[in-house]
Amino acid sequence: MPLPLAINKPLELTFTADDTVALQGDLDATVPAKVWDKLLKRPASASSASIAPSKSLTLDLSGLTVLDLNGAAQLLWLKSIFEKKEMTVSIKDVPENFSPIWDLACRTLAPRAPLPSKDTLIETVGHHFSDFFKDMTALIAFLGEVIANFILLIPHPLKVRWKTTLAITEKAVVNALPVTALVAFLVGLILAFQAAMFMKLFGVDIFVADLVGLSIIRELGTLLTAIVLTGRSGSAFSAELGAMKINQEIDAFLTMGLSPTRDLALPRVIALTLATPLLTILADFAGLLGGNVVMITRGYPVSVFWTELSGHLSTSDLGTGLFKSLVFGFTVAAIGCQRGLATGSGPGAVGEATTKGVVTNIVVLATLDSVFAVLFYVLNW
Amino acid sequence: MSSTGENAPKEFVYPVEVEKLDVGYPEQRVLLEKISFKVAPGEIVGLLGPSGCGKSTLLRHLVGLEPIKSGQIRLFGQDLWAGGGVHIDSLRRKFGIMYQGGALFGNLNLIENVAMPLKEFSNLPQGAIMVAARLKLSLVGLEGFEHHLPSSLSGGMQKRAAIARALSLEPKLLFLDEPSAGLDPVTSAGLDGLIVTLARNLNLAFVIVTHELGSIMTTIDRAILFDKEKKGIVAEGTPDFLANHSETLEAKAFFRRGSNNSRTTHA
Ligand SMILES: Nc1ncnc2c1ncn2[C@@H]1O[C@H](COP(=O)(O)OP(=O)(O)OP(=O)(O)O)[C@@H](O)[C@H]1O
Ligand SMILES: [Mg+2]
Repeated sequence: MPLPLAINKPLELTFTADDTVALQGDLDATVPAKVWDKLLKRPASASSASIAPSKSLTLDLSGLTVLDLNGAAQLLWLKSIFEKKEMTVSIKDVPENFSPIWDLACRTLAPRAPLPSKDTLIETVGHHFSDFFKDMTALIAFLGEVIANFILLIPHPLKVRWKTTLAITEKAVVNALPVTALVAFLVGLILAFQAAMFMKLFGVDIFVADLVGLSIIRELGTLLTAIVLTGRSGSAFSAELGAMKINQEIDAFLTMGLSPTRDLALPRVIALTLATPLLTILADFAGLLGGNVVMITRGYPVSVFWTELSGHLSTSDLGTGLFKSLVFGFTVAAIGCQRGLATGSGPGAVGEATTKGVVTNIVVLATLDSVFAVLFYVLNW
Repeated sequence: MSSTGENAPKEFVYPVEVEKLDVGYPEQRVLLEKISFKVAPGEIVGLLGPSGCGKSTLLRHLVGLEPIKSGQIRLFGQDLWAGGGVHIDSLRRKFGIMYQGGALFGNLNLIENVAMPLKEFSNLPQGAIMVAARLKLSLVGLEGFEHHLPSSLSGGMQKRAAIARALSLEPKLLFLDEPSAGLDPVTSAGLDGLIVTLARNLNLAFVIVTHELGSIMTTIDRAILFDKEKKGIVAEGTPDFLANHSETLEAKAFFRRGSNNSRTTHA
């Protein structure tokens, strides 16, 4: 580059006497690579030449054309390296115009502060473990807080932010209709198709209707809806509240005497809890439709599918599915909100909170679903 | 090839030359019209003016972030907006900037933030880079915080760290957007001292946007006062001249407000 300021005289080292090195050129960030290697490797070569390695080194700066803070830092770095090898380094003939900079650098750079020691493996494991428990405690406490807030508001139903709740219902649930229906339809289709291939061998492919119906209504419709909502709304809640936390909006909320749990989380939780069962019914229907399509291609009239289904499905099947979806809607929204409100600081924090929310939600969904499976089996529902 | 006399003693290029520049965002009214000024090497120039008059926007033009509509900006003799992105990038390495909000990289700790430009653009050994970064942090009074993340620092500390990062490559030109806003008077005075030391001893030119009358009076060589209504430069000169001898209304208002303040705090 033909820029006047870029005209630099690359730094050169001249070994004048045994322990004196003259530096010529620009001593700044433009110092070429490997210049210092010559100097750092020198004592080794001196000792290999079986001369007693010199215990002192003098750097002659009189030939410098530029010395800035980066240059001074390099000198200080050299000094610290040589001092570790128990050599003394002296700097001489600092050009007059650079001496304020050199003095400033020497004055400023305090002795190296000790680095924070790294944790041992056991400490790391311990920290993670205790973090996990703190995390879980916070989560459970928050769920309790949401429920408490809800109960407190029951006598004053007008204090619930219904407008916000409705807006959230629309955004989180109504807009999720197409994707939920599509996923459920395809899962029903695939399930029926796979089952039909196998059951055909035994000539019982009429039972595909029952298989699809039971799995969709008791398990899959509910679970699929919950997972779609986790990805679509739970994560959005985490991100929204996380961004508010980062912008200190949550702090502003608190200092105004408002409650983030009551005014931000509760509308979201109510919206999702009430609407998830409705969405689940749609998902169930779409899934059954998928199964029905496969049956039709196998030559069964439409009515056969539904008759077969109604013979083997009871209201308790539908009831368990919907009950679960109510619980799932609650946990998806509450966990999403909690993760958002617990966002740390820094630019990655919102992303981290969102990821954490989704992961926690999926783990909780799977766990709860298994618990319900056992529970319903024992209760014989 | 441009130099006429190889051994001319004081031949220099202006770090900043602005000519008939219109400051503003596209599809919006112009904030400042046809302004021109120059900054000499080692000079500390203050851009003053009421909030919202376009100082930060002018800085965005100067550092190549916001395209200009008309006029010319030359940095070190080269037209900033003449070439494409590569051209701007090569010029960008010649100056440092501290943004109004700090703009530290949140996923890097302080010393990594300060060391990053050196790591990217120099061939210095790792150890020397770390010493240099530590030196810059100590200069702004942040020794001991090398391994903290920006988010765990106060606003003023982030600001100082941002200045340390702007100093990383020790460019010959530094843009500072409100360096002392949000700092206590002692730290702010220390920062002013640092700016003067760097300007005098390293011949660094500074373009500083600031509202702090204290810093203006002690640090700045030449103040340029902008006005929102007149959309241009209304006064220019040493802070002392503007404060005590200028007849310009805006200058009087700008500097008298400070004396009013000091009177009220006195009472
Ligand atoms: N990205 C943008 N797009 C469009 N207009 C903007 C943008 N940023 C700022 N503005 C407008 O440009 C004007 C000048 O803003 P600017 O930030 O340059 O002011 P300033 O002089 O730095 O003020 P302050 O002293 O408060 O920092 C303001 O009216 C603002 O609304
Ligand atoms: Mg500004």
